[in-house]
Amino acid sequence: MSRFDAPVGADFTGEHVRDGGQVVGTVAVGRRTPVLSVRQVSKRFGPVEALVGVDLVVHPHEVVALVGDNGAGKSTLAKVVSGVVQPDGGLVELDGEPVTLASPSDAHRAGIATVFQDYALCENLDVTANLFLGRELREHTLMRDGEMERVARGILRDLTSRIPSVRTPIGHLSAGQRQTVAIARTLIGSPRLVVLDEPTAALSVAHTAEVLTHIERLRELGLGVILISHNLNDVRAVSDRIEVLRHGRNNGSFDTRHVSQEELLAAITGATQVAPVRPPLGAVG
Amino acid sequence: MSGSQSSLRGANRALVVETVKRYGGLTQVELTAATGLSPATVSSIVKELLAAGVVDTRSTTRSGRRAQLVTIAHRTGLAAGVDVGPRHLRVALADVTREIVAEQSLPLPAEHRADTTLDRAALLVVDLLERVGSTLDDLVGLGVGLPAPVEPGTGAVTVRGVLRGWDDVPVVHVLAKRLAKPVLVDNEANLGALAEARFGAARGYQDAVYVSVGAGTGAGIVLSGRLHRGFGGTAGEIGHVQVDPQGRICRCGSRGCLDTVVGYPALVEPLAVSHGALTLRDVVQRAADGDPGCRQVVADAGAVIGGVVAGMAMVVNPQCVVVGGELAATGDVLLQPMREAIARRVPLNQVASLDVVTAELGVRASVLGALAMVLEATDQAAVGGGPAATTDVADLSDVGTGGGG
Repeated sequence: MSRFDAPVGADFTGEHVRDGGQVVGTVAVGRRTPVLSVRQVSKRFGPVEALVGVDLVVHPHEVVALVGDNGAGKSTLAKVVSGVVQPDGGLVELDGEPVTLASPSDAHRAGIATVFQDYALCENLDVTANLFLGRELREHTLMRDGEMERVARGILRDLTSRIPSVRTPIGHLSAGQRQTVAIARTLIGSPRLVVLDEPTAALSVAHTAEVLTHIERLRELGLGVILISHNLNDVRAVSDRIEVLRHGRNNGSFDTRHVSQEELLAAITGATQVAPVRPPLGAVG
Repeated sequence: MSGSQSSLRGANRALVVETVKRYGGLTQVELTAATGLSPATVSSIVKELLAAGVVDTRSTTRSGRRAQLVTIAHRTGLAAGVDVGPRHLRVALADVTREIVAEQSLPLPAEHRADTTLDRAALLVVDLLERVGSTLDDLVGLGVGLPAPVEPGTGAVTVRGVLRGWDDVPVVHVLAKRLAKPVLVDNEANLGALAEARFGAARGYQDAVYVSVGAGTGAGIVLSGRLHRGFGGTAGEIGHVQVDPQGRICRCGSRGCLDTVVGYPALVEPLAVSHGALTLRDVVQRAADGDPGCRQVVADAGAVIGGVVAGMAMVVNPQCVVVGGELAATGDVLLQPMREAIARRVPLNQVASLDVVTAELGVRASVLGALAMVLEATDQAAVGGGPAATTDVADLSDVGTGGGG
């Protein structure tokens, strides 16, 4: 691990301790190595400039919210991070090391788990089968059903979920419970970064409450979380930092504790044009 | 042999009841999966519990199929408790026997606004009623706790500025209009005190003080078994006792209030350089895990709060001080410095030493207090109308029977 390859201003004195891909503990003092650092990433779809020189940094144990209007580039950026879309230019670093995420399975191997808006779950399979879909635990060629159920129960318990049984078919679950399964699925294989695209859209208040509680748990488990949402209330409830995108460009980075709803709305709608708060990451070092 | 058989049966019965409570409402099929018992066992236990009046069943559908929904039986309606904190909303439903049948918490943004939060609170109550297979018709009333002193009639915050965005909001009216049910509002520390006095650590004491330490600090005072709210509802507002005459201006307008010294920003700011940006939850968790810096911050807060509580104890002379709120989860890290600060006050400890104990109900104290407030009010009303309804809860409703009729 090239820890001295760290980005600008990395006056960190601590280091993220990893052991076989599993986060063992954080002994970070001061600034830490970000789990994800996206620098000056651009992406065009024909005449559409989806992303123009976008920066995004996520630390372990941090929830970073991506907000912006429709077409601001939130989902494209999420797709770059999760390997679905390849950027035209720019750099993606994980734990300070440059990576190429050529496919979703590349991203998953690198410890990035994504929940897309449609959940991508199989209606006819039960909770356990969905959690392990395509990543089944096997001994030789036999599936280890008991072990998978045990892990599934443990993960659902970790998330303090309200799903009664890991053997329930997805088709029998409510929208909120499906979102829970989709989030639980990200925890298979010890990820370090979880990307959630509009996880509370179209959910009732009670289900939103459950999902937001899950996000708090992901953060407590030491993961970095990217939360894409239209709902500023939800975003301000659980995030540490809010990154505003507008027309594919960064338009402000805000500490959630100190930002008001009005400032966020102004940045989203373009009432304020925010110059990059941090110096362009590529410029120094 | 038959002895172990019947104890196994008892254990299975307890497991079924526990599982139904945990999920609110479950079909028998779900209950089988969740408990791991056989369908036949679940079916016969449900029948038994139904006959004993422990659970209720009703027809429902699950993905188009008819199914039996099993819920905990509740008698003559449900009460809803709502605890509005600085960063969370907690809602619980309970029946007249004080049995909690559903519970959910929702993280809130800092400086959340009354309109959005009350709207979500009302919707969450309806969602939870649905979860246990009930409707608004079953709701007897709603109790609400706010992190500020309130005027009991309207539920409006009495001290301007202490809860930003909530000034002049008649909470009683706003919620009663939405849900068409009686609404009672009180300060969250008062409700915590009520809950701890009824079912928690202050149970059995006539005079007790409950101190809630979290994003802000507040206290509730129980005198002769009754909650003392004071004329304007500000009794126990120790968060606004001056502890630093040269300190910062508080949002209430005074200088150097306890909240400016041990409130949310004051607790996390000293850690920013060494630990990075932490939330209050992080500080509590790390202090409990033994992080020296976080322990230091919590212990120092305990010492300052202990000094204020000592002064309060001198005035009120309680038998015990119960410490609750988010920071109380750190246990003796917070409590030991409080005890020491209180022990230094000689007169307090001459008759008998003042017990300083951790709350038993944890962060749920306020929501349980809100439920107790509603249920005690409905008991009183019931006594006014016809005394028969109160027999099974008489032990809890020691607020007297004169007021309601």
